[in-house]
Amino acid sequence: MNKKYEELIAEYLNGELDEQETARVEALIAGGEIDMIDFKAMEQLHNELEIVSTPEPSSEMSDRFYAMLEEEKASAKPTFNISEKLNELFAALTMPRLAYAFVLLIVGGFIGAQVGSNDSQINELTDQMQDMREMMIVSMLEGASTTDRLRAVNISAELPIADEKAVRALLFTLNNDESVNVRVQTIETLKKWGEDETVREGLVSAIGAQNSDVVIIALADAMVEMGLQNSKSEFENLIQERNLNINVKEKLESTIASL
Amino acid sequence: MMKVKDGDLDKLGLLFERYNRPLYSFFYKKTFQTDVSEDLVQSVFERMLKYRSTYSGSGAFTTWMFSIARNAHIDHYRQNKKHNEKEELDEDRMGGASPEFGEMDERTKRKKILEQALDQLDEDKKEVVILSRYEGLKYAEIAEIQGVTESAVKVRFFRAMKDLKNIVHTLSEEYSDE
Repeated sequence: MNKKYEELIAEYLNGELDEQETARVEALIAGGEIDMIDFKAMEQLHNELEIVSTPEPSSEMSDRFYAMLEEEKASAKPTFNISEKLNELFAALTMPRLAYAFVLLIVGGFIGAQVGSNDSQINELTDQMQDMREMMIVSMLEGASTTDRLRAVNISAELPIADEKAVRALLFTLNNDESVNVRVQTIETLKKWGEDETVREGLVSAIGAQNSDVVIIALADAMVEMGLQNSKSEFENLIQERNLNINVKEKLESTIASL
Repeated sequence: MMKVKDGDLDKLGLLFERYNRPLYSFFYKKTFQTDVSEDLVQSVFERMLKYRSTYSGSGAFTTWMFSIARNAHIDHYRQNKKHNEKEELDEDRMGGASPEFGEMDERTKRKKILEQALDQLDEDKKEVVILSRYEGLKYAEIAEIQGVTESAVKVRFFRAMKDLKNIVHTLSEEYSDE
């Protein structure tokens, strides 16, 4: 085929010619300047390439991406910005929650004015604020939106001590939430309270309930970090009972060895 | 992407949802390996995060994205070369435990031949075919990705199709002799 027409034919095949240029190609074929048999064979091959298909990627690809994104977001976060935290809280407040918070604030203020500002009253007020925050966290963890649930997990990470209600809600989330990102973030938060026996037991017993490779790996890392040797049997059960991905299996074997 | 650059990292999730399939398809047709293709898609999004400050927003996002993808594949290829892991065509990469060629229907036979032919093209030519035929990019965009003139890309495409025609012909004869 004539070399000077190579670019023209390439444009024709990729649909980059306008009507006038297309007509020119057809005229060149009709006039024999472009070999019709060669051209048609190339055009047919170009059309045939459509049958080279691509299989669907596995769900792990998506899981890995979102785990990476959450990690990046966590590392990009400033250490502590009170106005941002307040914004987060207010963004999560629906009207009934806002009304409840407002009533609590008024009542708290009223009590404060009545009883003065001795230490025990201040502590009581602090406890009430903590209760309010925990209630909000529990309520948000039950929400339908993944973003809200992630936000709840992040807010709970700011709680100074491991509260029983919050821990219970987070463990429930770890075992039942449909989002891998929420579950991975929950592990990160619970790790902070690794001294608490309920947290330690809850994390170990959550291993068997997980189906996502990403979550299993996050739990394996947490177990090594926290030195929870009693998790070994849970991992051994997983290896024996499940048909795990080879990389996950190797990871669990190295986790067991580390523990 | 501009929002990701400005710190709204959640928007990368939208980009992932929109572009993970085209990227996966790009890598799959380059390697015909599912696990490697998934790793490379992950690598592209990691690089997008890492180099987000370099995104200028002046050209098409897809051009920037496929430039990153191209580099990720080149790095992967170099790394494999370093570890002496040959990227040769093998039965596993073309469907593993698939039936014998003679037992396949005509469409499957043709598909297998086309896949093998595509795999035998040299890397730059294969890339032009993948980006234009499968990803719908214009030659001007491919020129930007490959760092050559638009005219060179058109010639590259034409010659890729010519090579492909010859390889398909040779493979068809080889299979009919079996």
